[in-house]
Amino acid sequence: MSEDDIRVGVFVCNCGSNIGGIVNVPEVVEYTKGLKNVVFADESKWSCSVDALAQLQNSIKEHNINRVVIAACTPRTHEPLFKRTVKAVGLNPYLLEFVSIREQSSWVHMNNPQVAAEKAKDLIKMGVAKAAFLEEGEEIKLPVKTDCLVIGGGVAGMTAAQNLAIQGFNVTVVEREAKLGGLLNRVGEISSDDREIPSQEIIKAKMEQLAKYPNIKVYTNTTIKDVSGYIGNYKVTVQSNGTEETFDASTVIVATGMQEVEPVGQFCYGENPRVVTQLQLEDLLKQNTLDNIEHIVMINCVNSMNETRGCCNIGCHVSIKNALALRERFAHAKIYILFRTLCLVKEERRIVERAKDAGIKFIRFPDDRYPEVQSENNHLLVKVYDTLLGREFRMPADLLVLTTAFEGDKSVDEVKGQLKVSSNAEGFFQEAHIKLGPLDFPADGLFLCGGARSPKNVKDTTEEALGAAMRASIPMKRGYIEADGIVADINLAECSGCGICVDNCPYGAIKWAAEKEPVVIKALCKGCGLCAADCPKNTISIVHFSDRQLLAMVEAALEENPSQKIIGFICHWCCHGAVDMAGVGRMQYPPNVRLIRVMCSARVSAKHVLRAFELGAAGVFVGGCEFPTCHYIVGNYKAEKRMDRVKKNMPKKGFDPEKLWVGWCSAADGPKFANIMRDMAKKLNLG
Amino acid sequence: MPDAILVIGGGVAGIHVALNAAEYGSKVYLTDDTPSIGGIMARLDKTFPTNDCSICIEAPRMYEVDNHENIEILTNTEVRRVSRKNGGFTVRLLKKAKFIDEEKCTGCGTCIQACPISVPDELDGKIGGTRKLVYMPFPQAVPSASVIDTRCRAGKMRGEGACIGGCVVDCSQCRECPIALCVKACQKEGKNAVLLWQSDKPMDIEVKSIVVATGLKPDDPETGLYGYNVYENVITNVQFERLMNAGGPTGGDIIRPSDKTHPHKIGWVQCAGRGLKEGGLPYCSKVCCMIAAKQTIITKEHRPDVDTVVFHNDLKAYGKGFWGFYKKAVEHGVRYVRAHPYDVCEDPETKNLIVKYEDLDTGEIHLEEFELLVLSMGLVPGERNKKLAKALGIELDGYGFFKEKDPLLHPLETHVEGIYLCGGATGPIDISESVIQASAAGLKAVSRNSEVVR
Repeated sequence: MSEDDIRVGVFVCNCGSNIGGIVNVPEVVEYTKGLKNVVFADESKWSCSVDALAQLQNSIKEHNINRVVIAACTPRTHEPLFKRTVKAVGLNPYLLEFVSIREQSSWVHMNNPQVAAEKAKDLIKMGVAKAAFLEEGEEIKLPVKTDCLVIGGGVAGMTAAQNLAIQGFNVTVVEREAKLGGLLNRVGEISSDDREIPSQEIIKAKMEQLAKYPNIKVYTNTTIKDVSGYIGNYKVTVQSNGTEETFDASTVIVATGMQEVEPVGQFCYGENPRVVTQLQLEDLLKQNTLDNIEHIVMINCVNSMNETRGCCNIGCHVSIKNALALRERFAHAKIYILFRTLCLVKEERRIVERAKDAGIKFIRFPDDRYPEVQSENNHLLVKVYDTLLGREFRMPADLLVLTTAFEGDKSVDEVKGQLKVSSNAEGFFQEAHIKLGPLDFPADGLFLCGGARSPKNVKDTTEEALGAAMRASIPMKRGYIEADGIVADINLAECSGCGICVDNCPYGAIKWAAEKEPVVIKALCKGCGLCAADCPKNTISIVHFSDRQLLAMVEAALEENPSQKIIGFICHWCCHGAVDMAGVGRMQYPPNVRLIRVMCSARVSAKHVLRAFELGAAGVFVGGCEFPTCHYIVGNYKAEKRMDRVKKNMPKKGFDPEKLWVGWCSAADGPKFANIMRDMAKKLNLG
Repeated sequence: MPDAILVIGGGVAGIHVALNAAEYGSKVYLTDDTPSIGGIMARLDKTFPTNDCSICIEAPRMYEVDNHENIEILTNTEVRRVSRKNGGFTVRLLKKAKFIDEEKCTGCGTCIQACPISVPDELDGKIGGTRKLVYMPFPQAVPSASVIDTRCRAGKMRGEGACIGGCVVDCSQCRECPIALCVKACQKEGKNAVLLWQSDKPMDIEVKSIVVATGLKPDDPETGLYGYNVYENVITNVQFERLMNAGGPTGGDIIRPSDKTHPHKIGWVQCAGRGLKEGGLPYCSKVCCMIAAKQTIITKEHRPDVDTVVFHNDLKAYGKGFWGFYKKAVEHGVRYVRAHPYDVCEDPETKNLIVKYEDLDTGEIHLEEFELLVLSMGLVPGERNKKLAKALGIELDGYGFFKEKDPLLHPLETHVEGIYLCGGATGPIDISESVIQASAAGLKAVSRNSEVVR
């Protein structure tokens, strides 16, 4: 579109008296009419009211407006409404720019209407400048079929598979062992509340369920050889007894489970056959081969809660359950459970009472003084320091059971490489977000559940499996995934094929289409802009946040009085939230800053910052989410590093690095943002 | 059978059930008996074990719910009657009046500024938090609409000088009000969204399944528990959380109630409400250990010179990353003492608290002085659980949480087919577990009776 064809309409909201009571809106509207490309400007009492929205639509049609600037409250709450409104009259919603003059001007400069009006004008001018370069965006749909790969056929995998099959999805379960059931195969009974259920019963019930569905295909004795592609079009190669088979999958659920950490060399394990782990004890109980046992000792928290591993989550319960099972076989044996802390929550504590009634003794040992075990002539002797009594005990043991920690299954490293996901030091897969995205991997279409995520019991595993099935069902039920139009676009003509973008994308959204030819899978792109800011050749553009658009805003803001102005780049999620909170809280701060919204602080590149200094800006502020929060996983960390580099290079370009500020504000922290603005104005000697 | 689902409770669990189900394609009614969705999480400062800012991560999901075409949010709404119909349920809801036209209100806050009366805030009252009689539940509230305290209308605030205190007419009799300042302020803005005469509205909906996500509430200590309500500087962990919060009554400044100064030594009493005291909770609430770790770390990050002591029982570091989080607290210099304080008294001059405790590792008795004492209170069932269970025809467990039919083999299902549970409705739980259960219960709700016949 040539510049002559650009027809910007500006709609300024009074927000009752919230804007209009401070800022002289008619004056602002008049000013706006004089801006380049503006063909129409108007005010309304409440831009978001039904009649004003209808008026907005009429004006667009009547004046042939093809770029809309809304100057009102905040895009964080109201942008979707205006986008929907313009879309309804056939205008691409990405041709709308939202300018925040309430939170960023009238509310925070209440005592100085003139200053507030000047700032509002500047902000609108910046919005109009950006509007000239706005381009159409589209919500991108990527088709997703209805077949899911479940890796692992334990209780998690079986539960997920069944619940996907119920909905008619095709499920392929790949299990490494000969038999489904996973870890449950090694466990005798599972206890829940007040009853014990043989784990074989659980497996049997689950297998019967699976058998009911012809749309479930089970591979046993089979491993995954390769997985390539992304949501909607994974190609999976499995191998079994030397034969390979390849099939398609749209989504993948990782349910690879967990395994005991073998306590090699600890407490005479491996040296004396009477030293076993809890799982080995389960085997012995099943085989019924234990006899002549008078002294049983269990040591809990083996390999847990130390430098490398956390709480195993189930050990306390398992040890007590097994102690009770041993009590049934050996009515007169002495049974001790040596523990550091009892991690039993809610009703689990009842089992302690049962154990005590059954004569099982509990001895607490200090965190830094584990029991010692000696093995002489096949006799085991356990030395333990009893915290309660404050002295050491010695006790013989005919059977010593180690409640050892759990770690991710041995296949974790392989699966990690195949799916390009990560795991933590304990070998458990890393979820997208520990609180709000526990069952998702960062990349769309990949999900996790059960012991693969962290050690847990059957109930929690079942819940996670159901949850992961829900997450995987959504794209398969919809038949597509949809990405917002704010996405990256690579101009291959300029691309050197360095691959930085491919390596750095937190969502795996940039793939190699061919050698030296990266391609953005737009449906997977979240629009953070990290790739664009890092691209050494400047070949990546972000829809709605392109370099041209951002630079146009910088230039517009600094057209007048640059030496009194601070250019602020703020992320949409948190720092913008803090700005809004400062507004809601009517926190008054110096009016020097002109804020430019980006989706993530990682979008801000050196050239944006340097351009502001070239034009004489008093300072530049880059604001993102408070660590460790980032809505794009690593964006603020990357931004911090990049800005450190920019600061280092600034003297070479003749700029004072002290004028570049970075700040990380939570969305609740209006006071912090206001304070940064006050500090900046002070340090930069702004009037 | 109708295809919609009803989610009762708009906290983090309910929000995630709603989002999952709506994305799946189901129509969702999301009700909450408070004026905003968001639940407890919206009022927390940080979340363990990463210290992610709570509202920063929850608010985007709240806006997503608000903007989702498949979700209808019904706040201030209670479930009154449920009957089975056509394999699904007919549910009678009661939308209690906010005395605000939610459609018209833009949340601009002019009415709030006009209101002359401040009252203690429900959550922050004890630590000096106030709100007006017309108020926003919290700044990020969804829907972003004011709500009017019912006391205002009934003339109960007459003594306090409420603007309509002098009027003898019952608000419900009028259709306009020449007296109320909030009404006038809103009219002046050209909105007329304050409707003091609004009445509660019953509505009936038909749904195929129901998810109970009513959450839980922090236990309120009895007066006298470790000096609570007797000594000014004894507060609960929820109150401390609000003190830490930039959106709280002190703007994130950790100051003690008696003299508004920064305490230099703060103690946390874990399991403060447990069964060791008469009437105490008979179960472990499991999140309090990590809450204390979080609060001590944040305190240390605010001011590294503050002395922090945690009196704890068994340490519950059960979840992913929790142990590392506890270690982080220890690295920050937080002192953990395995002890159960049994007596607290106050120095009448300094208002400091002297805690008498037995160190359970050494057996020694100690006296230690604190400037602020935080009681780590557990989580208890919601107040309306009993009524709701009766309306839904489902059972509660011995503690008052909703009961699962078979926790091991069929988790989150109740004895009534088509009614599912998740989050704090089932018992003490943390945020990520709530989100997991929300996905799980959401799956059961949307896929009910959708079995594809082959």
